[in-house]
Amino acid sequence: MPPAGRVRARRHLDRGGVKAAPFDYLRARSPAEVVETLAADEGAKVIAGGQSLAPLMALRLARPTLLVDIEDLHLDTVAVENDGLRIGAGTTHRTLERHATVAQAAPLLREAASLIGYPAIRVRGTIGGSLAHADPAAELPAALVALGASVVAVGPAGERVIPAADLATGFLTTTLEPTELLVEIRLPAARRGSGAAFCEWAPRAGDFAVAGIAVVVERNPQGVCAAVHAAACGVGSTARDRSEAFAGVIGERHARDSLLRDVAGRFDHELLGLLAARALHRALERAA
Amino acid sequence: MIGQRAERKEDARLVSGRGRYLADHDVPGLCHIAILRSMTAHARLLHVDTTLACALPGVVAVLTQAELDAVGARAMTHRLPLPGVQPLEWTVLARDTVRFVGEPIAAVIATTRAIAEDALELIEVEDEPLPVVVDPFAALEPGASLLHPEWGTNEFFRMTALPPPLATAIEQAPHVLRTRFTHHRVAALPLEGHGAQAARDIGTGVLRVYASNQQPHQLRTVIAETCGLAESEVVVVSPDMGGGFGNKQHFTREECLVALCAIAVDRPVRWSQDRSEGLTASIHSREQVHDVVAAYDDDGKVLAYRVDVTANVGDPVLYFSGLGPALVTVGALEGAYNFGVVGFDLRCVATNTCPIGAYRGFGQPEAHFTSERTLDQIAATLGLDPVVVRRRNLLPDSPRPWVTGGGARVDVGALGPHLDELVAAFDYDGWRARQARARAAGRAVGIGLSTLVQGTAPTQYGVAGRFGSYECAAVDVLPDGRITVVVGSKSQGQAHETTLAQVAADALGVGIERVNVSDGDTAALPYGMGSWGSRTAVMAGGAVLIAARRLRAKMDRIAAHMGRNPTFDEIAEEAWWHPHRLPSDETPGLYESVVYTPGNTIPVPNDDGHLNFDETFGAHMTAIAVEVDCDTGEVHVLDAVLVSDCGVVINPMVVEGQHQGAFAQGLGAVLLEEVRYDDEGQPLTATLLDYTIPEATDVPVLRVIHRETPSTVAGGFRGVGEAAIIATPAAIAGAVADALAPFGIAITSTRLHAHQLRALLRAAGYTPDAAAFARR
Amino acid sequence: MKVNVKLEVNADPAEVQVEPRETLLDVVREHLGLTGAHAGCEQGSCGACTVLLDGEPVRSCLVFAVQCENKPVTTIEAFGRPDALHPVMDAFRRHHGLQCGFCTPAMVLTAIALLAENPNPAEDDVRQALAGNLCRCTGYAGIVAAVLDPTARP
Repeated sequence: MPPAGRVRARRHLDRGGVKAAPFDYLRARSPAEVVETLAADEGAKVIAGGQSLAPLMALRLARPTLLVDIEDLHLDTVAVENDGLRIGAGTTHRTLERHATVAQAAPLLREAASLIGYPAIRVRGTIGGSLAHADPAAELPAALVALGASVVAVGPAGERVIPAADLATGFLTTTLEPTELLVEIRLPAARRGSGAAFCEWAPRAGDFAVAGIAVVVERNPQGVCAAVHAAACGVGSTARDRSEAFAGVIGERHARDSLLRDVAGRFDHELLGLLAARALHRALERAA
Repeated sequence: MIGQRAERKEDARLVSGRGRYLADHDVPGLCHIAILRSMTAHARLLHVDTTLACALPGVVAVLTQAELDAVGARAMTHRLPLPGVQPLEWTVLARDTVRFVGEPIAAVIATTRAIAEDALELIEVEDEPLPVVVDPFAALEPGASLLHPEWGTNEFFRMTALPPPLATAIEQAPHVLRTRFTHHRVAALPLEGHGAQAARDIGTGVLRVYASNQQPHQLRTVIAETCGLAESEVVVVSPDMGGGFGNKQHFTREECLVALCAIAVDRPVRWSQDRSEGLTASIHSREQVHDVVAAYDDDGKVLAYRVDVTANVGDPVLYFSGLGPALVTVGALEGAYNFGVVGFDLRCVATNTCPIGAYRGFGQPEAHFTSERTLDQIAATLGLDPVVVRRRNLLPDSPRPWVTGGGARVDVGALGPHLDELVAAFDYDGWRARQARARAAGRAVGIGLSTLVQGTAPTQYGVAGRFGSYECAAVDVLPDGRITVVVGSKSQGQAHETTLAQVAADALGVGIERVNVSDGDTAALPYGMGSWGSRTAVMAGGAVLIAARRLRAKMDRIAAHMGRNPTFDEIAEEAWWHPHRLPSDETPGLYESVVYTPGNTIPVPNDDGHLNFDETFGAHMTAIAVEVDCDTGEVHVLDAVLVSDCGVVINPMVVEGQHQGAFAQGLGAVLLEEVRYDDEGQPLTATLLDYTIPEATDVPVLRVIHRETPSTVAGGFRGVGEAAIIATPAAIAGAVADALAPFGIAITSTRLHAHQLRALLRAAGYTPDAAAFARR
Repeated sequence: MKVNVKLEVNADPAEVQVEPRETLLDVVREHLGLTGAHAGCEQGSCGACTVLLDGEPVRSCLVFAVQCENKPVTTIEAFGRPDALHPVMDAFRRHHGLQCGFCTPAMVLTAIALLAENPNPAEDDVRQALAGNLCRCTGYAGIVAAVLDPTARP
């Protein structure tokens, strides 16, 4: 029982409110302007699609005093360059779902993006926003860990490349400084002989995943599985690399029942283990 | 015409976004209210400092109960006439003590809602926390912290009806089932939250209140009382409503608060309930525990039935509170059945949680779930088919009305043939065969049943201490032959503008395009009883029918007198514009106002000690087949059929829509929804991400088959809105129990969420096969 | 502190003075009197506030009006009037796809957007596309039937 005394009657954090606290708004014209503004104002925060930030602001759980809108930076190009895919941080989930280059070079991203929320969310939400927000239930951070992606951030000290696996450090926390802006995501294009799958479970369509996993397998020219990378979401405080659970798949060709059961058994969370087996099965099928 | 699948008249404006809901009534100078609500579940309020809040630019006023008292606010009370109900009065805003998280403490009035919210954060509250009780059994323990110490207990109400033969019958029966069923807390959650908007006219002194409320006239009464005004000084208008489901049929502190704010600041003011308020500080429903003793014979016939109901009513500062549904529960224990000697012990317990109140079904879902689970368990124990066991317990076909021990006068068609129709329509035998094949293949398929007799059009007297079982309607034929119908019922989306138009049009012999139905304006009728309890077809439909028939008869007399086969329009013109030409004993005009009561209810115990809550009854038989995914715990509905008898059907399309919507709510209540609190009374389900209602991907189509056994009330209507929400949780639970029976799992709770079923299956020894899961 | 925002709503220019924290929902409803978009939660979880932004359905409670300069906004009012209903609206009426109507404008807009992209969706596609629009009254059957009706096309 809390002690008697003066209690500031602010809305309890868990109970939410309505209507955001007041803020000023700036539409940035360049990444440099964003960085300068973030550095000069502790209460400044970047907004892209707002699908993660706006609900928090509506509940008054997030209270930036200055919103820096990066819409006009047009960080939304998608391009293949030297076997690598470069995706602007401002690329919407909708674009990831539909862009021919993504379908070709990173089908796992298309699958993961299509599972995010609802169409109206995907129209506005961005890959950079999802990464910076670091919700452990989010699909894209896990997919990017499994794909061995890196993110590019710009800040007062210049540009920094961060492996996706190192980005999230805790619940809704990343290694990004408050003065840094995510501008790009880089990942290797899908190689011949690779296959990937994203499987998750949620109580309703569009709900945050209770458990989810991205699995990427690579067959060598002989058709034998040479590498497996996997990352889970929903369980734990961040997206997490779980490649080690699939070590037994290396050297295998087919998803035998015993292999699937073995992989599932390496997960403490039963549902996650089942999803891992399913994702492995599909990834192997897709890795022709 | 009655019976037609008429397209709805209200749709053109609603579908094109031109409906006008509460928050769509902007007026010049409108201010907005934000409510400071308690953050602790139980505390003495020592001091509320509003100084900083008042000083914020844009804030018009900050009111606590002291300021409301200064403008004449009166206390509210539950008014229940039952002996043994604890006395309880409460002020619109909490003054000395708060007893649940969300209880209103102060109101900020500002030029915008956003500024009002800013001001809330500047109010300082000094309080002294007190111990919290959340669980009703804990609240009944000796030494438990008391919500209202003057009671000496947390028991708000106790009622027992244990006829002497009951104990003997239980003792002597060949078999006795003793078990507990728990019904968890849910929220009705209309998509449009509550709201009210008020302004006092300086010239006339009339306080005009818009309120999203299902019972506008009665709200007028309560607002007038609470504000210290004469009822004639208050007008309540309930506009287009974005759902109600009983959640909006109470008379809330907030609605009175808005009225008092308008008086205090002499400006138009509006409060729109936000979603978190709606989920945590509004009205919750259903939370009851049933301890059942069912004595039965070798054939599964129940000989004696005792249900001890422990109902959590939250802090019962609600007129008419959770006591209402609990009373209905104990009155509806038998439903479609004759259980021999029936008794109950009802305890309504106050706890430091949001008040419990009305939600579609109003106590019948709880009673029905328990009777269905009881019969299913008896069937399982005896190795009998659950259809057979139900037949053995169904009310016999005669006499009608069937008078129960408590005095309920149940008047429905023959239930045996009705059940036959369900069995055939659902292809029950086919499903049992499919189930056998599925089980052989390792799939958990189950079939659940609900055989329901639903009381409809109840009297509110027994739960509210006043108001009666009647309804008002005024029907007139205008000089141009158009017809207006004004009713005291209140649509929240149930198509009244169409169905009541069909009733009037049918009686008058015209098309519905000529008929305009309106409701919700207390200035248009002296009184009305609103819409809830599946009453509108029976009560408003009956009133409209009688009025329209009288007008038709008058028009026929006038026509005969006119003698030249006049048209409908010519008769109308004659009646209003050429009255000297009418028959000498005929009054001018074509206008009928009717106050209609079918007369079947007995609202207070009569000389025989009998009570009959309901004007009439509907009968609905439902079968649902499900498959439980044992790996994820998900329940997939494979087929669902409801054979519906709501008497004469006004509009089959509307009836099917009511069933489909109620089916979705019933499905949500067991598979997806739960209102949760922690041990300190903090709400855990404050957003729609936590309180998950069914989406389009969650609700299959319910097949509805119509049966019509006309009732004895005007029009032969029976009412239908709540039927499927009562039936569905029982039928789904029965199907899940049937599906999981091979694992030895018993289903004794309404909680059938995926994680709960997973847990039950794991505890029963089921382990998923990852390889099989992977390949699906 | 209010700022000036130039919007284009239903093909008409509209200049409003708003606080940056006013959402697109706030602005269309309170500044422009377009009350067909409804506040069901203002937290982005019910969909009742759906409008089209640049032709795509968005939750207007999650967009600040200041973010909408130079982006055409279309609300339900642009798609029909009670006396001249859009074919999708008419299909909703014929199939009893609404009861209280509170979720309906948003449902209709989401359906129009779906059909623009996929004129012949399967039932599953329809249910998936509408999953983010909560309805408490209908149980969705009439809504799905309306969207599947081949005449529900512009």
